[in-house]
Amino acid sequence: MSTPYYLAEDQIPLPPPDAKTFNICCDYCIVACGYKVYRWPVGKEGGAKSNKNCLREDFPVAGLSGKWVSPNMHNIVIADGKPHHVVVIPDADIEAVNLNGDHSIRGGCIAQKVYNPSKPTRDRLQRPMVRIFGTLMPVSWDFALDIAAEISKYVIKNHSENAWACKTNSYQYMENLYAITRFALKDINTPAFAWHDSPNIGEESAGIAFAGFQTFGPGFWDRANADVLFISGTDPYETKTIQWNEWIMPAIREKGMKVIMVLPRRTPGAAFAEANGGLYLDVYPGTDSVLYNAIARIILESNGQDMEFIKKWTSNFGGELWETESGFGRGTRNTHWQWITTWGKLEAKGFEDFKKWLLGEKEFEINKASEITGVSVEKIKKAAEMLSNPDGKKKVSFGYEKGNYWSNNYLNTTSLGSLALLTGCGNRPGRMMGRFGGHQRGGLGGGSYPGNKSPDKFGGRRRLTMDLDRWVESGHVRFAWVVGTTWVSAMAGSQSHMDTFNRLTRGNPHQVMSLLKEDIIDTLKKKVDSGGMVVVNQDIYLRDPIGAKYADIVFPVATWGEENFIRANGERRLRLYEKFYDAPGEAKPDWWIVAQWAKKMGFEGYDWKDSNDVAEEGGRFSRGRQDNNYDALVWMAKKKGVRFHDLLRKFGTTGIQTPAIIVDADYKYDRPGAEFTMSKQMRDSKDIQADGYKVIGVARLQDSEWKLPDGHFGARYIDPKNLTSFNTQSGKANWLKSPWDLYSDFHDWTKPKDDELWVTNGRVNEVWQSGFDDMERRPYITQRFPEQFIELHPDDAKARGIESGDMVIVYSDRIAVWKDSNMGTNALDTKFSNLQKEGHIKMTSASITAVAMVQPGVKKGVSFMYFLHPTQPTNSLQSRIGDPLTGQYRYKVAVGRVKKIGESPYKHDFRTLTFARRDVV
Amino acid sequence: MSNTAVKEEKQKDEKCSLDLCPSRRQFLFASGTAMGAIILSGIPGLSNAAKLEAELTRYPRVKIGKVSALKVDKPVKFKYPARDFENLLIKLGTPAGAGVGPDKDIVAFNALCSHMGGDLSDAYKPEHKILGQCPFHQSTFDLTKYGMIVVGHATQSLPQIELEVEKDDIYATGVFGLIYGCHSNPMRV
Repeated sequence: MSTPYYLAEDQIPLPPPDAKTFNICCDYCIVACGYKVYRWPVGKEGGAKSNKNCLREDFPVAGLSGKWVSPNMHNIVIADGKPHHVVVIPDADIEAVNLNGDHSIRGGCIAQKVYNPSKPTRDRLQRPMVRIFGTLMPVSWDFALDIAAEISKYVIKNHSENAWACKTNSYQYMENLYAITRFALKDINTPAFAWHDSPNIGEESAGIAFAGFQTFGPGFWDRANADVLFISGTDPYETKTIQWNEWIMPAIREKGMKVIMVLPRRTPGAAFAEANGGLYLDVYPGTDSVLYNAIARIILESNGQDMEFIKKWTSNFGGELWETESGFGRGTRNTHWQWITTWGKLEAKGFEDFKKWLLGEKEFEINKASEITGVSVEKIKKAAEMLSNPDGKKKVSFGYEKGNYWSNNYLNTTSLGSLALLTGCGNRPGRMMGRFGGHQRGGLGGGSYPGNKSPDKFGGRRRLTMDLDRWVESGHVRFAWVVGTTWVSAMAGSQSHMDTFNRLTRGNPHQVMSLLKEDIIDTLKKKVDSGGMVVVNQDIYLRDPIGAKYADIVFPVATWGEENFIRANGERRLRLYEKFYDAPGEAKPDWWIVAQWAKKMGFEGYDWKDSNDVAEEGGRFSRGRQDNNYDALVWMAKKKGVRFHDLLRKFGTTGIQTPAIIVDADYKYDRPGAEFTMSKQMRDSKDIQADGYKVIGVARLQDSEWKLPDGHFGARYIDPKNLTSFNTQSGKANWLKSPWDLYSDFHDWTKPKDDELWVTNGRVNEVWQSGFDDMERRPYITQRFPEQFIELHPDDAKARGIESGDMVIVYSDRIAVWKDSNMGTNALDTKFSNLQKEGHIKMTSASITAVAMVQPGVKKGVSFMYFLHPTQPTNSLQSRIGDPLTGQYRYKVAVGRVKKIGESPYKHDFRTLTFARRDVV
Repeated sequence: MSNTAVKEEKQKDEKCSLDLCPSRRQFLFASGTAMGAIILSGIPGLSNAAKLEAELTRYPRVKIGKVSALKVDKPVKFKYPARDFENLLIKLGTPAGAGVGPDKDIVAFNALCSHMGGDLSDAYKPEHKILGQCPFHQSTFDLTKYGMIVVGHATQSLPQIELEVEKDDIYATGVFGLIYGCHSNPMRV
């Protein structure tokens, strides 16, 4: 752990000419900038002349050279058992993503991520541990795995596989996710499975997907080649920094692209957009759908929609109802159509039906909409004017992220999709809809979800994937395997969740008090039988409380730079992340841990020798995906007689934009943005040619202007329809209704009463995710954000007698928690007001501390906190109520009271925390 | 500092002081202020390499202006610790980390953005006491807080020039942090 005392260094060692070089990408945001690692033994150094260093540069280097090494880019590691210097710097020779060697503050400091016993990373987990007398004690791998396997078998036999739960990250490399899902979903076959960011594994942004958009269809090229870019619920400057720096911002500056940004807080990107002919729409949390429908209404009233596009590319235009009747066009097997469409409230028969519905909804009338959303009438009109596209000549792209779908999930996503279709956004270069993304894309399904075992069901006939938090709350989970996530502090209503976890783990009378393996197993069996929950936590640090307080067994994990892994970024770009140093102690990659555990339980097929084995086996499971499908590369590697990882290494940090597709060797892919699909060298390389075929990457999905090659061999690897049309049965996009009354009961109950403020949350540029790396183990970042903060509008601060630097408590006793697993029988049984009526809601309270930051950029009546602080979790303030249709949490929607309790040490200190405005242009 | 004074200083710089002219360097060593910097080498905790070494880092001591000539929020440019390295001397009008002068509000910073070397020499925002946005990628730095990043991409705070005041004269005596582009600050000994 680091203290906030950062001492600037004024020199760094340069890599000598014979330093070893590795390709890697940043571990953090979904942009995944390419980096080079230079490694050389401690005891020598390169020189300032270009022939004396591995960067082949004369120092000092010039501005924008991309070759400068800052002190935070240097560290010391153990490699092959010996101390080595490493320098991790952006790859200035990359041909996509972070062009010119640009980097964010997070990636730029990533050399500080590695294990170095003399630095704040010294507390990496190194040994498997078992809790005895309340303390975690080091044991051997075999010892710990034997217990995990024995208790797993016991729980499955006596309490069923539904009582064996897996809560895992969804992104920490494809090899690991393949192994984890194969074990949990295919072999154990449990429905008690959820990702790190959600209580279930349901649709993330259902409205976008049901409309037919591929959520990761666009490339960065598309976002730099629109006339208008509409961004909902994120500021890419803060969270997708290099996509902003190298793609969006230059398009604003050089091509006059206009950006509309929808957020409750004027961030640096919003301020820049506004200062450059764009628009910032300051929406109240959760009310986006009313705003989008109000904008749509003005467009429709003035006939500003792109009618040519609508006729050609949206369903049922000529009255052919089959285009949507078959389950929103996606076929009965691929959609939740049975619970969405059978009760007639959400699907539109076609454009005219959608228009009629929208014009008839009173909330979307401009004055009413302005009142609900807090966005001025003028701004709503201006947005409609900027998006109107009657002649279809304007290229409009849309992007969205968690401010959108983590507040009012179904309605925000459907309303955004429909608004996009009106403007002619979809399936053409520069006119693309897609997620901006959060984590990188490291998922790979090794097993399918056993939906028929889920206890959750909504109005209609179909079951929904299990809400794991409610399953725990109801006492049904007896064994929980938690992989690379904090679980409780990451979910809504964290503090009430902690209550439950405490009861099920530490509160159980059966605690281990002997190190004899048989005694431990015997005690844990009693724990399980008496309603307790055994927790196995697998992570790189001991996280509090999941590992530090609840876990019975802890497995230490090897991560970034400690194993060869593959992963894709937000434009489906696949790269090899090379191992460049030794993992600390006995830490092992997730796939290895899974393999040993699975074998001890008697499961077969886990005899992988290395991560390449796992990746090659997993390749065929990527086939069904439109994004991140790399099976063609595995096929090509076999043809060339090389290992798949070695073939991918040749693509360097530029990688390949998936899906990887096999075409005739003489075919030329020349769609706009083709030059970024892989490096020039690889496009011409014989390494990806065999048997008269070659591999190509794809600049965007759903590119309707792309004529697929005649000799197309891709059917084995990808459904070619999704390369050129919408992801629906008809290939056309669907119109979806988003009636406000699905959400308004929750909104009206939640919205601030008396002196409450909205308490929303999000990322800040300088910190990634839960901050286990940067906020806690990087003095340079710790000094910037030593603890949780709350941004308050000056008027709201003044009314409460609060100044920047004051210590405040943020608290609420109006936190609703859906307390049990129950089924919906009729449509909308799962609406908040119906749950209240039927007695499924309990009221809880929460309070956390924070340092006040008075910031005019945050909307009056709204406050903003960092979204995942390790010790001051803002998630505590959110109601644990899922969307009635998708079950997704409303993380961005909470209210609370703010009260000063004194001054923080930062108020008068020059060393830590700045209170300067973030939105200065 | 008057424009003439700055000009004189500049001419002096160009003649000798910031060239690597040996006699001048020797003089600087004699009068230079020691600035502590901890250099870590080896890895403490490892059996064969436990070594923590503290080293004194020295920089030239150069007169860069006068307290009485500074006006609040009017930055003055000066070169340090070598020619071609431009810095800003600013009287912020509010006390600041490492601030000197009677009001502890006189600070100096290197003017190259510590992200990718953007020129910040004309980017002072008096109302916020920040430097930026950088013309390249919009980073901003808080000059009251040792050049701490406010928002942006730089992987270290903006290098601060250590100052000393002797009567009315302001001297630059050292650099906190690595100046963009360098692997070791010029004139660092």
